[in-house]
Amino acid sequence: MRSSKGKTKDDTWKSEELLKHIKAAQGDHTDDNDKKSREKKRHKDEASTGSSDSREHRHRERERDKERERERDKDRVRNKGKERDGDRHKEREHEKVPKKVKSEERDKEKKQEKEREKHKNRDRDKEKDREGELDCSADQRARNKDKERNSNTERPTNRGHESERHRDKDKERDKKKERDKLQEKAKEKDEIGDQRSKHRQRKDKVSNCASENLDLPKDDKNEEKERKHRERKDKEGRSTENSEESKEKKRRSSEVKDEDHDRRYKERKEHGPRDGHREKRPKERKEPGQEGRVEETEKKRRERKDKESKEDEKKHRYKDIKEQSGKKKKERRSVQEVPNERRPKGSTVEQVACQEKPTESLSEESTSGLQSTWRSSWIGLNDDDALVEGEEIAMDSQSTIESSNYEDDFEDYEDDFEDDECEDEEVEQEKEEMPARQRAEIEEIKKAISAENEQIRATQTRSNRKTYEEEPKRDFEISQTSGPSRGTFIDFVAAKQREISSKVASKQKKRSVELLRLIDLDFSVTFSMLDLPPLNEYDVYIKNFGRTNTKQAFVQCNEDNVDRESQTDELDTVEKWTQHPGEGSLVCGGVNVSDASSSVATNVDSRRLTNFLKSACQVIAVLLEEDQAEYQASQNIQSKTASLSVSDGCSQLNTNLPFLHGRKVLCLRFSQVQRQTLLSVHSLPKEPGVAQLASNYIICVWNIWEPSAPQKVLVCESEVQCCCFGPGNAISVFAGTVDGSVIAWDLREHSIIHYSLQIGGQEWILRNPTFSTDGVLAAVNHSCAVKAVDPVSSAYFDNHGAGLSLLASQEGSSGLSFQLASLDESGLLNLWVVVELQKADLAGSLTDLGLIPGGKIKLIHSSSINVNSFFPRNLMQLGPPQTLSIRFLPSDPNHFFIGTDIGLVSHGTRHGLQTAPKLYKPQMNSVRPVQVTCIDFCHFGKTMFLVGCSDGTIRLHSVATDHPILQWNESTQGRPIQTVLWALTRPGMFFVLDESSHIYVWDLLQNDSKPVAEESLQLDRITTIAILGDPEKPSASSGLMLAKQSGAIEIQYLKKQWSEPHLNELETLHYILQKTI
Amino acid sequence: MSADKLMGGTNLRARVYPRTQCRVTPGGAEVRRVAVVTEPVAKVGKMAENTYNIRPAFQHRFKTEIVKGKINNVLKEELSNKSYDPEEIPNMTRKIAEAIKTEVKECAFERYKLVVQVVIGEQRGEGVKMAARCFWDADTDNFAQEVYVNDSLFCVAAAFGCYYY
Repeated sequence: MRSSKGKTKDDTWKSEELLKHIKAAQGDHTDDNDKKSREKKRHKDEASTGSSDSREHRHRERERDKERERERDKDRVRNKGKERDGDRHKEREHEKVPKKVKSEERDKEKKQEKEREKHKNRDRDKEKDREGELDCSADQRARNKDKERNSNTERPTNRGHESERHRDKDKERDKKKERDKLQEKAKEKDEIGDQRSKHRQRKDKVSNCASENLDLPKDDKNEEKERKHRERKDKEGRSTENSEESKEKKRRSSEVKDEDHDRRYKERKEHGPRDGHREKRPKERKEPGQEGRVEETEKKRRERKDKESKEDEKKHRYKDIKEQSGKKKKERRSVQEVPNERRPKGSTVEQVACQEKPTESLSEESTSGLQSTWRSSWIGLNDDDALVEGEEIAMDSQSTIESSNYEDDFEDYEDDFEDDECEDEEVEQEKEEMPARQRAEIEEIKKAISAENEQIRATQTRSNRKTYEEEPKRDFEISQTSGPSRGTFIDFVAAKQREISSKVASKQKKRSVELLRLIDLDFSVTFSMLDLPPLNEYDVYIKNFGRTNTKQAFVQCNEDNVDRESQTDELDTVEKWTQHPGEGSLVCGGVNVSDASSSVATNVDSRRLTNFLKSACQVIAVLLEEDQAEYQASQNIQSKTASLSVSDGCSQLNTNLPFLHGRKVLCLRFSQVQRQTLLSVHSLPKEPGVAQLASNYIICVWNIWEPSAPQKVLVCESEVQCCCFGPGNAISVFAGTVDGSVIAWDLREHSIIHYSLQIGGQEWILRNPTFSTDGVLAAVNHSCAVKAVDPVSSAYFDNHGAGLSLLASQEGSSGLSFQLASLDESGLLNLWVVVELQKADLAGSLTDLGLIPGGKIKLIHSSSINVNSFFPRNLMQLGPPQTLSIRFLPSDPNHFFIGTDIGLVSHGTRHGLQTAPKLYKPQMNSVRPVQVTCIDFCHFGKTMFLVGCSDGTIRLHSVATDHPILQWNESTQGRPIQTVLWALTRPGMFFVLDESSHIYVWDLLQNDSKPVAEESLQLDRITTIAILGDPEKPSASSGLMLAKQSGAIEIQYLKKQWSEPHLNELETLHYILQKTI
Repeated sequence: MSADKLMGGTNLRARVYPRTQCRVTPGGAEVRRVAVVTEPVAKVGKMAENTYNIRPAFQHRFKTEIVKGKINNVLKEELSNKSYDPEEIPNMTRKIAEAIKTEVKECAFERYKLVVQVVIGEQRGEGVKMAARCFWDADTDNFAQEVYVNDSLFCVAAAFGCYYY
């Protein structure tokens, strides 16, 4: 259909050219020719395209409709229906008159016409084309075209020529059509779609008209006229043949539906064969004979026209080359405008215009030269309509593209329309003969067609298409001739193929069904084909950078630069061992003990060392004291030097201490071992100086070289009658009290367990007795005042004469285990064993009740001796004598000598038989009440002792004899002798102190009848005296310790002549004594 | 009628061909995949005809191990020392698939329709999971699969054999 349009265009172009050409060349002759041809054409038109005229009418009507639609879209549907119908009716009525006139002419081809009309639906485009062609000035040629299309068989050459020319276009359009068809199908039955299609159709027609007008400006009016005539005739013919038409229309309607299918599969691809096929089918069925005839007549005409058209074409081509495209365009544009402009008129004025135009056209017909002017005037006149036309042009252009798409719809619409028409006509006209026979026939045909269609549908469209597309090229003529049979052949092939494929399919299906019973199909397990875990960042990094030619390096930044200290020097370690207390020679040792001397040094007895240190300290201290004393003496003391004639100097112990102030010195006693250590016993003060010590007796331990202060201060509550040091060393002090108790002090005790007293800015430690027998050992204890305490040191006396070594051995043995003898007035001699406890008990002891808490020395009662048993019975008549003093024989401690108050000295032993003499008697009368105040053994020879008596006599006894060797009765003028002391350095010299504070110095070598010197210190009476010196070291200083009544203690250093022994003094003494005896 | 013979063998599948899914964690890596399908072969150059056997003879069975070896050879040959090149890889994928197909064809698994699928992906550290599932007859049908991985790419090649009854 497309192709047809294309052709029409081309044709029109050609015809236009042709026209010009012809007119130019032939002038009126052509007109005649035209007229002739027109007349002929008219016949043929009436025969072949009767419907096309009516279509023209419709076409106009539709244009009018279109305008209305534009004006009021809402009423569109209604309007169309009604108006169209109305128009048609009018037309019909209008045409009825001339119909009769022309009916005769048409009779001949009526049937054919009707059939064509029926086939209009299908071939509308062609018809349109035909219209265009018909309207052309080259009517003949147009008719030729019509014929070509109606029966393509007649002019193979022409046909082929044209078809070749336009095939390309055809194909393109076909393709478009195919594409569009899909869209269309859905809309086929759609009213709106229909309407649209109508629009397009109209446009198509418009364009056709335009082409008509363009092509045939001269013939316009003629055409119009002709058209109207034709239409009228058509209508008439139609009205007269309504009965037939109605039947045919019915059939057509059914066919149309069938053909819809056909179209889908075939028509679109090829209109040529299809046209022939379609058109011929009904013809064949209905009027084979007629058709043959018609064909023949048509052939003739076409042959004729073909020649003309060929000529035209040649000319046209020739012209074509010459003509410029711009001109063409111009013309074309104007051509388009012209019909458009004309149309509104036509539509609005309708029939008036229709009738007027022919007249105009008629007048203009002859004057073809005026064509252009006329056209231009047309253009000028209708400028105002340009806008509307412009729109139309746009729509036209669109429609030309789309028109093909809506052909189907158009057809459908036509169907509906014609159905309506049919119905109208049926209603209007007699529903006359509708024989059941025909209906059945129609039904049969329908069935046949539907069956055919179904077959075709079933076969694959593609293969069909191919065949269809190939075939036209191959054998056009054949297709023309064998057109009717061709469709069935195609269907057969398709069906065959389909059959085959279905057969195969069914076979396979059967097989598969059978096999599936035997086979289990199942879903396999899901195979994991690849599981690539995502890499973490580090892996990616390593992957990218950790491989080739790369090194990982680290740099320490300052942020985390940690500062730490560490000990890198090795520690020097030496393994050593030590042991405490150090026993044996090795006290410590180790790996590297290379220094033997050090180990030897440590081998030194620590005890000895401490002793040494102690003594050394004392020495140092003494030296310091001496310095100080010398310094002081130069100022004070030295002045007093000449207090004694025998002395060349003196010093004083500092007894001017607050707690010693006002106390009388009762007793002085030097240590036997440490000659410089002095005990001084101080009585109760006359006026209490220190409140705390008011009721206490005080014993001071002095070092005479340290005169400034006593070393230790011992406190005792009862009156101390006698005191002494321990035998070995000066570490213990013993004292006997008035109330019969023996008291012991341990000088080694630490000061903290004693009471300390702050006196005069100086701290004094007042030591209470470590042990006291007071109230503890009541059974064995003394019941009266203890007159004398004396240690019994056997070792000392055993090793007599081996002075220094003895001393050293004594110190080493530290013998704190020794015996102590105490003698009370009643003659009871108690022997005590001094025991040192291994461990002090600060909590106090439960068993040792006399022991101070923390004390380590205690006295254990050893034995008691009643001294009175030694006295002879005759002495006992006067009552038991009072024992006053006791002395142990220095060479043998087993012997002791006791002075009594009857002037006798008894001699006793601690154990063993009594030895003679039992009593040592004075020379004159044996017994008289004279107290023996003191006994002192000579330090040389040791067998002589002096006895001083209260009547002033001094006797010198030998141990072996009971009578004295010498006896001095009046040396003191009867004053009682207080103390007799042998000098320590000279054997023949002794000192005597009487109670009136006279000191007599005796030197037996010089004078054995009277003392060599006599001193009297009446200013400050001497209460007691002690002698300082060391018998072992005669060169050492020796002196007299004088205790004054005022409490002062003086040291009178003896002159050299008195202290240094003479040569062989002991032998001389022995000799003198021998001589005296 | 000759068409019957030509069409011989029955494809019971509506059999779903092996459906492979490949999941890649988001990232920039590319994955290419190509599948090649052969027609079932009876003997070399001939189409399979209908028979009454519904099980392949043992020597004609699809043997996974053999196919694996072949796939492995192909992969090694084609991919060794190759790095991922987006331009080249699509062709590479196709080439490998074809190579595997021809290799496996030579094994003469009669009446087997082969489906060779090759997936090549770029290795950029993304995680990849690939799984296949088939609707088939486990007695006759089988598959072989090999993976080749190097620094820049991974390649998964799988050959599925479906028996034509």
